[in-house]
Amino acid sequence: MDNYLLPLFQLCDSNLPTGAFSHSFGLETYIQENKVHDKDSFSEWLRMYVLGQLICTDGLACRLAYEALEQSDAQTIWALDRKITVQALPRETREGTHKIGYRMLTIGNDLYPSPLLSLYKEKTVNGEAFGHPAIVFTIIAHQLNVPLNVILSTYLYSSISSLTQNAVRGIPLGQTSGQFILRDIQQWITKAVEQIRTMDIADFGAVAPGLEISQMKHERVLIRIFMS
Amino acid sequence: MLRLSMEKKRDKTVTKQIYFQGAFKMLRPHYLDNSGQACYFLINPGGGYVDGDRYRMEITLEEQAELILTTQSATKVYRTPHTPVLQENEIVLKKGSVLEYIPDPLIAYRNAKYKQNTIIRMESGATLFYSDILTPGWSPDGEWFKYDLLQLKNEIYLDGKLVLFDHLKLQPIEAGVDGIGYMEGYTHLGSIIVISEKVNEDVLQGLYNVIEKDLGACKAGLSLLTESGFTVRILAHSTQKVEELIVACSTFLRKEWYDRHPVTLRKY
Repeated sequence: MDNYLLPLFQLCDSNLPTGAFSHSFGLETYIQENKVHDKDSFSEWLRMYVLGQLICTDGLACRLAYEALEQSDAQTIWALDRKITVQALPRETREGTHKIGYRMLTIGNDLYPSPLLSLYKEKTVNGEAFGHPAIVFTIIAHQLNVPLNVILSTYLYSSISSLTQNAVRGIPLGQTSGQFILRDIQQWITKAVEQIRTMDIADFGAVAPGLEISQMKHERVLIRIFMS
Repeated sequence: MLRLSMEKKRDKTVTKQIYFQGAFKMLRPHYLDNSGQACYFLINPGGGYVDGDRYRMEITLEEQAELILTTQSATKVYRTPHTPVLQENEIVLKKGSVLEYIPDPLIAYRNAKYKQNTIIRMESGATLFYSDILTPGWSPDGEWFKYDLLQLKNEIYLDGKLVLFDHLKLQPIEAGVDGIGYMEGYTHLGSIIVISEKVNEDVLQGLYNVIEKDLGACKAGLSLLTESGFTVRILAHSTQKVEELIVACSTFLRKEWYDRHPVTLRKY
């Protein structure tokens, strides 16, 4: 067995207290507008979220962070941390990601400490960095010698799995439907990983405009169970 | 290639340097009111943009200079079978300067490919109001959406620090563009970026209260940046609707911040 497997399970486990269960990243706006209301409409939304946002933001950030780590190029990591943060124009999505990132950084630095994680945390506390979950996850996984394609698929799976659990609560859907969605999305994760690996880095940060607006509109959704 | 720098002399913003070559031109500056703020009209290439065209615009506003920059007509991008049209903009806004950039829509026709990279470097105390409208041209068969690619990137630096990275990439040919999350059945896309020390939650809420009643026929979102700014994104069914919202935002901020009248750009 690869010795990174168990730590990776731990990092991707929804029990890891990052607060991801509080964020819907615009899904709640669609639920309230009744555009996402069942298993099929959520599956379509989820595929769009992966292909229209995740791969060009978090996914590509994982790859770029990994490549920078391979070169021991910390400057690129700090620039990426700022770029991916200011790229998120919807405030709640940006702040939610920041909260998750900061918690993952704190837990990661406690559980799997390294000079780079501790420097990242220090910079985040001093306001010189934001703390982004894709970058934090990649730093920890890179320390554990996890190969890039495994980093990409596990990071995507873990984001998708949190969102699916939130959809099960928010829409609501049956637990079993949630599991079917998580099985069916696996083929899309495989495609997404391939796309991220071969993507032109000039595509960084391209997001689907309708989703972005829904993430902005969530600020004015009156009754809500999620923070974004 | 077009280069313009403006400076403040007494109470008036005047041209410090202007240079252009090729098809991209400018008219003489206008003064729309007695505030001293200058207004320049960009003149797009007469025949529109075609394959492999590259344009570069450099604008500098010296300290306290105030400029409205607009276009004389819509920017048209035609069939671009090989090399995408590339428009590069570099804007420098020094302390206390004000730029209101309110161009006409960009119209992309069948098989058009257009890329735009805008870099704006601001000093603290400068103010930016930036807008754009992306619209599909009509195809001969009376349908929207036959362009291949519109890709617009904006990078804004405040005192050397990146504060906004905005990347829009629309490829209507690719499946799913009408679907949830993408254009969602709308055809026109508008964006507004405002950067100013005066921006805060109250300004955004005040603006929202003003435009809320006009949001019926479109989908729009407003949100604060990490510091000193906000963005607005609009999906709509017509250029007019997007323009109305841009004018409403511009009018609100000019009134709130400078007690100035709305910009009325008489072009037609």
